[in-house]
Amino acid sequence: MAEKIVEEGPVTAEGKEKLRLLTVVRGETLRNRDIYERPPKYELFFPNFVMKELCVGLAFLIIIFMWAYFKDSPLYELSDPAETPSHIKAAWYFVGLQEMLAYFDPYLAGVIIPSMILAGLYLIPFIDPDPVKGIGRFAFKERKFAIGCFLGGVAMWYGLLLVGWFFRGPYWSFYWPWEDHSVVKATEVALWSFPLPAGIAFLVCYGMLVLILPAVIFQNFFFRLGLIRYLITFNLFAVMCFVPIKILLRSAFSVKYILVTPWFNI
Amino acid sequence: MFKPVAKAEAIDPKKIARREAIRKGLFWACWGVFIGFAGILGASIVRFAYPRIVFEPSSIFKAGKPDDYKVGSVALIHGRGVFVIRTEKGFYALSAKCTHLGCQPIWYEDQQVFKCPCHGARFDKEGINFAGPAPLPLPRFHLSLSPDGRLLVDKSTNVGMDFFLEA
Amino acid sequence: MKWVPLGLVRYTVCLGGLSVFFFLLCILTGPFLMLYYVPDVNRAHADVMDIMQVVPFGAFVRNVHRWSACLMIVCVPAHMTRVFLQAAYKPPRQLNWLVGITLLILTYLMCFTGYMLPWDQEAYWGATIGATMAENSPFLGAKGPFSVLPPDKDIHYIMLGGTVLDQPTLSRFFFAHCIAIPGALAGLMGFHFFNIHRAGGMSGPL
Repeated sequence: MAEKIVEEGPVTAEGKEKLRLLTVVRGETLRNRDIYERPPKYELFFPNFVMKELCVGLAFLIIIFMWAYFKDSPLYELSDPAETPSHIKAAWYFVGLQEMLAYFDPYLAGVIIPSMILAGLYLIPFIDPDPVKGIGRFAFKERKFAIGCFLGGVAMWYGLLLVGWFFRGPYWSFYWPWEDHSVVKATEVALWSFPLPAGIAFLVCYGMLVLILPAVIFQNFFFRLGLIRYLITFNLFAVMCFVPIKILLRSAFSVKYILVTPWFNI
Repeated sequence: MFKPVAKAEAIDPKKIARREAIRKGLFWACWGVFIGFAGILGASIVRFAYPRIVFEPSSIFKAGKPDDYKVGSVALIHGRGVFVIRTEKGFYALSAKCTHLGCQPIWYEDQQVFKCPCHGARFDKEGINFAGPAPLPLPRFHLSLSPDGRLLVDKSTNVGMDFFLEA
Repeated sequence: MKWVPLGLVRYTVCLGGLSVFFFLLCILTGPFLMLYYVPDVNRAHADVMDIMQVVPFGAFVRNVHRWSACLMIVCVPAHMTRVFLQAAYKPPRQLNWLVGITLLILTYLMCFTGYMLPWDQEAYWGATIGATMAENSPFLGAKGPFSVLPPDKDIHYIMLGGTVLDQPTLSRFFFAHCIAIPGALAGLMGFHFFNIHRAGGMSGPL
């Protein structure tokens, strides 16, 4: 195919047309929306936006100064490698992770799941099939699945944080917020694991349910995504939904592992 | 604007192809050198961060006389990260490092369990991980009697569940 | 970046700018703390005590540092959520989303290395947990599934500078908290802003 030269300059704020070589591309010309046009109604970046930003910053500066004056930041006793305190909590922004770690093997909750979360976040622009829908506004109705998944994940992270912060006492035992922390909780019941065939059956069923069922029910959605994107999306989705399922199994039914293998346990 | 240096038809297509090949070769050679250099730099930074010498406490140490321990007691050897436990069968030494994420479990005498405060792992007196997230039982360390009649704990040697030092 | 569509300038759009603002507050207060803080396991905790109790305005400076870090770690994920909900990661802004996620990771690392430095109980055991998590990573850690590296060659060893938490660990975390991560954070932030401009600024259909 012959190379075309696109000779369209962006419309500048003053409205003057500038003709300059943007780029040399093969195939179609750049889409119209890649070259920004001023909308009919607009406001100025400066001062409107910048002033708003500065006002908010100033308000928070006052808040921080008041907060720093009245509330000292915590400092605990000197570290002692010989003794872990019986009541220990991470800084509040890691309590969600700490709570998640209480249900999983360290390699899962400490490495695999955070990596999957970050991989999922990195992949968002590439697994979203629609390049234009909902840009610049809160389009909850048009992007139900995307927004649902994202807010579900955020809610899970902060939900775990709240549980870890308000419902955990000494020795990471579960306490209701009104319970006295000095009352020692009874020893937990012993955990049990699924036997190997049951574990495999459970995971296979779960995989079928999460990976295949949506493709059958929402066929339009499947074809819009394409196979690879669909698989990536729903694998990430499966991992995300697996976390509350395992937490439920562990806390309600005392299940230690779903799958036990000589190399790793899930 | 620019004046043409030569007429278009005067350029030999072979020459153009050769120029193009040289240009591509140089392009990839530059990238190769850059990536190679970045790789060597990265590898040397990683290597730099591995210390050659570390100053760490010895893994073998003495833990007092056997008579200092009552039958049925669990004693933490302070600062060594080891529980020495005496039962009717004899002595054994358990690692005081939770197999989950490395905190130090606390012996809870009333309920006869080790409780890890960080993520709620629970171990029984034998070091079995019966509840909480710990993936493995607490390791047992080799115990022996030194010539001067004291307990000698060797943290570098793990032993099985049936290991006891006769009292 | 001279104009933005009408109605876009709402307070949710300020979250990104606020994160930068809190980062700047940390950058401004951090070096003052460095005047009195020495990253030595025998001194660190006492130095922080000094800053809190003896140094004039020391407590105030540390509090501002700490609380603005806290607010930053609220603002950065909130900014990310806003960007997701307004679909601002869609073309042509994919690259900026990737940079943004990297900034999120760096912010969390900044907080993790930061709360290590007072070398108090929370710091010590928090660092133990973090290091053991690294030790449990598959392939790279000595304890994780499919581990291939011995305990003195794995990722945990490089993080601690040994097999136990001690002076090398504190030095490493100090370096990471005061030089490596803030440097990367500042550089990537610059790139993040440049990218807004490059991708058409806020003037494009966000």
